[in-house]
Parts: sequence; structure tokens; C-alpha cells
Amino acid sequence: MIAINTEAILETIAFIATFLLLPPLLVGIIRKTKARFQNRIGAPLLQPYFDLLKLLSKGETISKHTSWIFRSTAAINVSLLIILAFLAPWTSLRPFNLGADLFLVIYLLALTRFFTVLSALDAGSAFGGFGASREVTLALLVEPAVILCLAAIGSVSQTSDLGIAFSFDNVALMNQPGLWFIAGCGLFLASLVELSRMPADDPTTHLELTMVHEAMILENSAANLALVEYAHFLKILILLGISSQCLLHAIPFFWHTSQLVLALSSIFSIMILAASIAVIESVAVKLRWTKLPEFIAYSVAMSIFCVFIALSKNLN
Amino acid sequence: MILDTFEALAMVSAIFAILILGTTHLRTNLSFYSLHTMAIAAVTAWIATITHEDHLYLVAAGVFLIKSWGIPWYLNGVIRKINVGTDGGAFIAAPLSMHLGALMLGLSFMISQQIPGLIGEPDSRLGSTAAMSILFTGVLLMLTRRAAISQIVGFLVIENGIYLFAVTQTHGMPLMIEMGLLLEVLVAVMVAGLLLFNIKKSFEHIDVSQLTELKD
Repeated sequence: MIAINTEAILETIAFIATFLLLPPLLVGIIRKTKARFQNRIGAPLLQPYFDLLKLLSKGETISKHTSWIFRSTAAINVSLLIILAFLAPWTSLRPFNLGADLFLVIYLLALTRFFTVLSALDAGSAFGGFGASREVTLALLVEPAVILCLAAIGSVSQTSDLGIAFSFDNVALMNQPGLWFIAGCGLFLASLVELSRMPADDPTTHLELTMVHEAMILENSAANLALVEYAHFLKILILLGISSQCLLHAIPFFWHTSQLVLALSSIFSIMILAASIAVIESVAVKLRWTKLPEFIAYSVAMSIFCVFIALSKNLN
Repeated sequence: MILDTFEALAMVSAIFAILILGTTHLRTNLSFYSLHTMAIAAVTAWIATITHEDHLYLVAAGVFLIKSWGIPWYLNGVIRKINVGTDGGAFIAAPLSMHLGALMLGLSFMISQQIPGLIGEPDSRLGSTAAMSILFTGVLLMLTRRAAISQIVGFLVIENGIYLFAVTQTHGMPLMIEMGLLLEVLVAVMVAGLLLFNIKKSFEHIDVSQLTELKD
């Protein structure tokens, strides 16, 4: 007989509702902030939800050259990212710890990218081809930064389980604001590239010279497009969530606060990061393709600093 | 290992110095230099509060005003006048030299662990790590960059490294010496800026790798 705890059930429901409903709101925040920066009123905050609903009711057009990969990719990606949302430490409130190994998290992220790239190639259009090629090039450059940042945190906490490393009762990581802050900055820069946001890719243009993510999903329509977009929104939530968790851990105040404050502040900090993405996109320009490695190098440099902090910690 | 505040600030300044290496865009270089020097001024002020040496406050104010605000402002003016936005090209690609700089940070950590004089009370190894890494960074900047203005920035970074080493190890030199050094750096940068104008006027570029050729 399993003892049924009402509080645990409520927590679980709150957790699932958060990660299912929050992602479109984040995109709404980004778009609204950008609009205000450009002196427009902009679409309402909830517009991404309406867009998704509208897409669901539209008729679908599929190229006759596509195979089952194209049809199933969106569903695979959404389910992979839902698994990730259960595993990855993107919020302080996790009702259950399923043992999120850091390599599992990284490879699940890579698997979603793999399927996106496959479906882009599957349609056989020229756009899909170059979008996929650019995406894989960027992934190759960014991946070391993400792995090194997370591995440094794991090495200091003596475990590869991110659930334990990111829980707020880990003594080894308590006095490491430098490590957390630098890892947070590195992961945030890396997620800008992974999410195809501004310095790497302009998400609002449909210009063949600059597209990365948009080029890959050009062939999708209707419900399929809605799922693809929703998967991308979920990815925004998870990656921003992990970087905001790192930044929260850098603030000593949060180590000794109540669960409720932690949960609320983690949601709030994800929203702040989303707004700061909008600010970056308003003041910065998209970098030329050949200049991008210079930008990604900053995130890799941050991860190297993290590794040094971890090494010096392990030496002493 | 719990970082003391001034050691953390010293590491912050070392990290900003390494970030200078990452781009050939001169304005960004100068703003990173400015942040880097602000961190050094903060280190000085923090050491002044620890050791109660009041003259260090004056030095910190001088570093902040002259080195982190005055010199970047002047060099920005020079950049605008000679109309050079980016470094023409580095001998080692900018991202690579930044990662090399990060490795140098690790190297200087290992060197500082080996120096016996540093393991006393108070333990000043992290301060010397930061200072040494800033020295290496400055040397890398001067060695790998082509534009004369990057050479000036490299020189300033090396000077900051030596200053940081002195301030973290000996807790500051007498006020007269510090003020003299500040003035000297200011004059050196002014003269170098004037030289830049003349180089730009007579050669129409500021590429130091081509200055070895003799012209009449």
C-alpha cells in the first residue's frame, strides 16, 4: 500500500502544469519586451498560445517526397523534451528525483537536435539542407561549453547526478558563488546559440542568408508546426531554466530559504532571463556567420574557467 | 576553499583581462579593459579597508579615474579620429588566443602553488595567480595583435598585472610612488596616442607588422 500524500500530489500537478504552460508565456515575454524596445505596443503576452491553437486547427500540407521521419519528428521531439523536463534541474521545485545523469541530459538535448536535423534533410528542400548544416556546425562548437560547465559542477559535488548537484542542500557547492556564476554565464551564452537567438540567428526574419532554425522547420505546417514550435518553446524553458538555476545558486541568500520562495524565484528568474534575451536582441546585431566562433569562444572560455575552479577545488 | 573578497575581485579582473583577448573589435577591447581596471581599483580599495592604510583609498580613486575611465576615453577618441574600428588581423586567431589565455590562468595557478614565499600568513596565492595571469594576457595581446592600438592596450594590461602583484603581495607602495606610476602611464598613453596619429598620417595604416620595412 503506497501512502498517498496530498501535498506531494499537489506539488506534482503544479510542476507538470508549470512546464506544460510556461514555455509559450516565455516567448510571449520575449516578443512583448522586444516590441516595447522598438516603441510598439506588440502582441498580447498570451499570443503564442493563440498561435499554437490556430495552427492546430489548420489543414496540413506535406511534401510527397517526405518519409515517416518527417511526420514523427515533432512528436518525438516533444516527448524527448518532456522527459528532459522531468529530469533536468531547470527549477528548484522538483517533486521527485529520477536521477538525472549530466550526460543523459546532454545527450537527450543532442537527440532532439538530431531528429530536427533529420526531418529538415528528409523534406529534400534546399533550405532544410543548409539550415541543418548550420545547426550542426553550431552544435559542434557549443557542445563542449555545455558539457564542461556541467561537468565542472558535477566534479565539485563529487557526483554526476545533476539532481543532487543542483539541490540546495549540497554542502560542497555552498561556498562556490564564483563557480556557479561563471557556469551560469557560460550556459546562458551557450543557450543563446542553441536556441537560435540573436547573435547566432535572427528568429524573426525569413531571409535565406541568415536563417538557421527557421530554415529547418520551413516545410512543417499546421499541427506538425505547432508541435515543432512547442518543442522549441520547451527547449527555451529547459535551457534558460538550467542557466537561471546556476545563477540562483550563486546567491548565498537562496541556500537557506523556504521551498516556496525557491520555487517562485526559480520561475521568476527564468522570466528575467527571457526578458534579458529580448534586451540583448534589441541592442545587439546578428553576427556574421564567420564571426560566430568568436562569440561561442566566450562561452567556451567561461567553461574553461569553471574547469579550473573545479580543479583547484579538488587539489586543495 | 572560501575566496576572500579581494581575491575574488582579483580573479574577476584576471577574467576580464582574458576576455579582452577574445575579440579584435577595438571598442569592445577598451570597454573590457575598463571593467578589468575597475576590478583592480576595487581590489585596492578592499585592501585599504583590510589593512587600514588610508593612502590606498587615494590610489584606488586614482586608478579608477585615470586608468579605468580617463585612458579608455582618450583611446576611444583616438580610435574615432584615426577611423580604425577593428584590429586588422591577429597572428593567432582571437578565440584561440583567448583559450590560450585561459590555459595561462591555470599555468599561473600552478606556478603560484610552487612559490614558497607566498604560502605565509595571509595566504596570497590567488592574488599572485591573478596578477601573473594578467601579465601573461598582456604579453599575449602584445605578441599576437597587429594594430598599434592593441599594443597600447597590451602594455596597459601588463602594467596592471605588475601593479596588482605589488598591491596583493606587499599591500601597497608609498603614495608618491603610486602617483608617479599613474602619471607615467598616463603620459605614456598620451604620447603613444600622438604617435598613432603620426603613424596613421604617414603610413595610412597602424599595422605594426609592416612597420619593420624601411621607407624614405
